[in-house]
Amino acid sequence: MTAIATSGLSKTYGRATPVHPPGRPHATVVRALTDLTIDVGEGEIFGFLGPNGAGKSTAIRLLLGFLHPTAGRASVLGLDVVRDSVAIRSQVGYLPGGIAFWDGLTGERLLDDLAALSGRPATRRAELLDRLELSPTTLRRNVRDYSRGMRQKLGVIQALQHDPQLAILDEPTEGLDPLMQYAFYAILQDLQRAGRTIFFSSHVLSEVERVCDRVAIIRQGRLVALEDIPTLLARRKRNVEMRLEGEPPPLAGVPGVSDVRIEDGRLRCRLEGDVAPFLAAIAGLTIHDLTIEPARLEEAFLEFYTGDLIDDEAPQAIAAGAPPAGGTPPVADA
Amino acid sequence: MNLALFAHTWRANRARLLIVFVALGLWGAVLPIVYDSFGSTFKDIFASGSLPPQFAQFGGGDIFSLSGSVAIGFIHPIAVGLNLIFAVGFATAAIAGERQRGTLEIMLSRPISRRVVYATLAISGALFIGIAVLGSIIGSLIGASLTGRTAELGVGQLPLLWLNGALLYWAIGAIALLASASFDRLSQAIGVTLAFVAVSYFLDVLGSLWPDARGLQPYSVFYYLDPKTILAGFPDAGDLVVLGAVTGLAILAALVVFPRRDLAAPS
Repeated sequence: MTAIATSGLSKTYGRATPVHPPGRPHATVVRALTDLTIDVGEGEIFGFLGPNGAGKSTAIRLLLGFLHPTAGRASVLGLDVVRDSVAIRSQVGYLPGGIAFWDGLTGERLLDDLAALSGRPATRRAELLDRLELSPTTLRRNVRDYSRGMRQKLGVIQALQHDPQLAILDEPTEGLDPLMQYAFYAILQDLQRAGRTIFFSSHVLSEVERVCDRVAIIRQGRLVALEDIPTLLARRKRNVEMRLEGEPPPLAGVPGVSDVRIEDGRLRCRLEGDVAPFLAAIAGLTIHDLTIEPARLEEAFLEFYTGDLIDDEAPQAIAAGAPPAGGTPPVADA
Repeated sequence: MNLALFAHTWRANRARLLIVFVALGLWGAVLPIVYDSFGSTFKDIFASGSLPPQFAQFGGGDIFSLSGSVAIGFIHPIAVGLNLIFAVGFATAAIAGERQRGTLEIMLSRPISRRVVYATLAISGALFIGIAVLGSIIGSLIGASLTGRTAELGVGQLPLLWLNGALLYWAIGAIALLASASFDRLSQAIGVTLAFVAVSYFLDVLGSLWPDARGLQPYSVFYYLDPKTILAGFPDAGDLVVLGAVTGLAILAALVVFPRRDLAAPS
């Protein structure tokens, strides 16, 4: 079964005005999300990546019913995000990015209140407190006295304490020290083993490589990649460096080779895909030293972050001459 | 209504409510005592003609009778200010304040519809306002008892006086909660609500002090607070209907606006 499915999901802010005062531009329409189509399977750990302002939070808020889609559809655990928003939230745990709490409450009172609002018993709380090392003494203190890391732990616990079927976590390791990050990854893997689905956005690419099964990369409101991690790793370019005797070979036209340059007497280039053409091109040369190393995953992501969009008609803000695309009209979250 | 959210809201506001209740009680008790001590002196001053007679009828009250002094106590800026702590302070912060702080999304990520969130906050606010207004009533009763004028007060009319006062602040609270549900920032919600309250209060006071401006008073919600007439045993049901209608319309508007709003990430 699919935990999350979106089809052409779009969100536009603002409204174009056909009539406007002379000398004043049309109203600005912001396309925060355009045509997002993804499927997240049950039991999957799914990474949702993109630079700041790419539309990650917009997508998450659409899934939770905080925003109404301008166009397209989305379902969570088989339920429509517009019609069944309340039912969805009964099965979801959510950690917002940069979480805020009622600071006058103690940690314990806060978790109790949030569990009561969830309407489900906090069956996982004790285990999470133990694994994230939040002591009962700490929980008796007011949240306003918590450090950034402690607040983040509290955020993780409130999202997972009622053992939700799906956890939507926005930058979950922000503020956690490395030890706690490891503890958090272990928690995610245990949840996955228990059949829970995790959907999380992150800027920490190494953690995505570590824990995710698949990732979606979003940029300027558009999906630019949807891959499983092994495929993404296989596609990443390798960095090549060699020290030669004599003239460097003409590598520019060799399939898979790019970014050829000579620096400090060494030939450097990048290599993608099959290595055979490259090896054929350097065959017979006198090579004193040759290093081929896989590019870091970060570089693979950064290519998606910084490369040109194929269809670049999705600027984040456009001077609109036409009204926003028609789509799902606002429906009350009653 | 969501009981968990109600309990959370109650715990967050009970200390403040106790303070406001006691303060309004003290204020309510002071005016019968002042009337008992200085009422006849004031009457002589005004009878001498040295002050305009309108000054003795501020906000529909007077200082020549117990009911009149209780009425002044209700419309006096001190009482209004204390009542606005919940009618404006609580109501505007209930949604816009939570949203600005980032806690609204923690609340709304739970399986509670926005209508239920609104209804719970509205009922909580109504209860807090009702208790605060009760403080004034109990204070007035205590003040009248201390001066031995309980019979003069018209105790049988006190429930209606409570209803009139509560309805006034429910109407203001409903407008404040509508603003709270409509704006992203607390300052916007407070600004709009306080502007409404200030204009409304000004129109009523102006009309009570300046006969030529009396025609403006019906445009003020404070005009429909009429303790003196109620305590005299001649309540005007129209006052209650108007305040009830304002409250109802504001609630309806909020129930339409809030569930349909987009709640983008707090900035």
